[in-house]
Amino acid sequence: MNKNVDTARAKRFYTVGIILLAVVVAAFLISLFWTPYDPYATDAASKLLPPSSAHPFGTDNFGRDVLSRVMCAAKFTVFISVSGVAIALFLGTLTGLPAGYFGGFADRSIMLVNNSIMCFPGILLALVAVAVFGASMYNVVWALGLVFAPTFARVYRAGTIEVKEYDYITHARVMGVNPVRIMLLHILPNLVPQLLPATVIGLANMTLFESGMSYLGLGVQPPDASFGKMLAESQAYIRVAPWLVIFPSMMLVFYILGLYFISEGMRVSLTKGGGS
Amino acid sequence: MTGKQTAAYFFRKAVELLATLLLVSLFTFLAFSVIPGDTARVMLGANATAEQVEALRAELGLDRPLPVRYLSWLGGAFTGNLGNSTQYRTSVGGLIVSRLPVTLGMSVLAFCMIILISYPLAVLSSRKPGKLADQVCSVLGHVLFAIPPFVLSLLLIFITGSLFKKVSVGSYTAPDVNFGMYVRSLMLPAFAIALPKIAMTFKFLRSSIIEQKASDYVATAKSHGLSDYKIMFRHILPNSNVSSITVISLVLSDILGGSLIVEQVFNLPGLGRLLLSAISQRDFPLLSGIVFYLALVTVLLYFAADIFSSLSDPRIRIR
Repeated sequence: MNKNVDTARAKRFYTVGIILLAVVVAAFLISLFWTPYDPYATDAASKLLPPSSAHPFGTDNFGRDVLSRVMCAAKFTVFISVSGVAIALFLGTLTGLPAGYFGGFADRSIMLVNNSIMCFPGILLALVAVAVFGASMYNVVWALGLVFAPTFARVYRAGTIEVKEYDYITHARVMGVNPVRIMLLHILPNLVPQLLPATVIGLANMTLFESGMSYLGLGVQPPDASFGKMLAESQAYIRVAPWLVIFPSMMLVFYILGLYFISEGMRVSLTKGGGS
Repeated sequence: MTGKQTAAYFFRKAVELLATLLLVSLFTFLAFSVIPGDTARVMLGANATAEQVEALRAELGLDRPLPVRYLSWLGGAFTGNLGNSTQYRTSVGGLIVSRLPVTLGMSVLAFCMIILISYPLAVLSSRKPGKLADQVCSVLGHVLFAIPPFVLSLLLIFITGSLFKKVSVGSYTAPDVNFGMYVRSLMLPAFAIALPKIAMTFKFLRSSIIEQKASDYVATAKSHGLSDYKIMFRHILPNSNVSSITVISLVLSDILGGSLIVEQVFNLPGLGRLLLSAISQRDFPLLSGIVFYLALVTVLLYFAADIFSSLSDPRIRIR
């Protein structure tokens, strides 16, 4: 009975999560081909217009269409989080898998470096990396990938330590199969159940960081739109034009919340539902 | 559990702490020494001659080999002497200390809010899991967790601004001028930082309490006729403390990181603004000082968390 309750709960989380995420992903996909207006075109005649049928999300202080800019911002947000997480996953494989597989000295030294990196407040590390190399979208991707790598390395390591005790892996090891082959072909596929929720949460957390950095002006650079930068620019108009704040924050929260709900659904269905 | 095991545990932890501190300092130092943007060149501007740059390099000690510079920087870092900021021309340590009241005050306030709100909520919510109040708290928790602190700040500014016409955003009073005003000016930003963390701590505590409630010792305590109140405070909460200490140490380091951005929204003169000005002016001595001290605080927090959890659960020391 408990299992049914959990399955129903997981399903609810998935449904809400996917709907929220779909809004943002749809905005991103459509923005690749079409936006209602040019997101960069300024128009002095239509400054700070409230939402209307011509401009569903209103216009900003340069007369730019907020809906078009929000769609563009969705594009950058999705791009940065997906490529940042891809880098973190790659670096995590490179460090976490061998640490868990070989154990001993290799494990201790890799994890010591890992834990030392985790001692820098994440946002600080990303800000400094961007400060040193210059503010640009690609540097943000690299910096965030680097900052998140230790978290993923931990997931890989914990999973590997568990999986390497499986009989068929011991068997492969005894037969003298190349360790790299064992790790990539036999262990890695077994880690997917742990990695999937970690990846989804990673996407959400990375977006939290990226939006903060863009808010500070150290993320996506203008004139490109990003939720963080749009919010920073609209702060001065919060009383006169609240729509400038509401729509970008709404989309930003949809994306992060959608990812959290999906990861929560995964957690419920993978841990409780599967086990009992 | 023998005294020997305990001693070995603390010794191992201390060695780990030292190794981590050394690595953290090495990373910080290397990040700002190996990488582009010569400090002397930046200080003098583009018009300086090669001789002037060389002279300044010698004055700052930049012409010495890297290991020597690292050791002297490290020595300085632990004695509080991190050199002079290139833009303010005063000591880095002094600059950081002058900004601490804002960042530290905000962090302490946020931390108090987290503990004072999440514990009672978790205890209440776990009384009847699955009931309406519990579900409302859970959903609200998820939503709050997903809103970036700077967006929460904007929303709070907006809400308080329309509720009470006179809200002073961006006015900061130093604690030695008027302590009440100082606390008041930090309330709203602290709340913005605290909200997502309240959600996180609440969610964690709630599931940990529910888990403990299902355990045998609680059933035994009940059969002995102990009151629910006593079971909660004498048995369940102390037992969920072990894992909550870890969560709280994570929350604390997150608060520090979060305050860097939220300060900016509320226009407060804290470490965040100092950091940003250091970044935009490429003031590397100041930047490395801020980075190192923030990391130092985090390392010490994690260390303290390890020690505290081993004190409340001696089993950890054997592992």
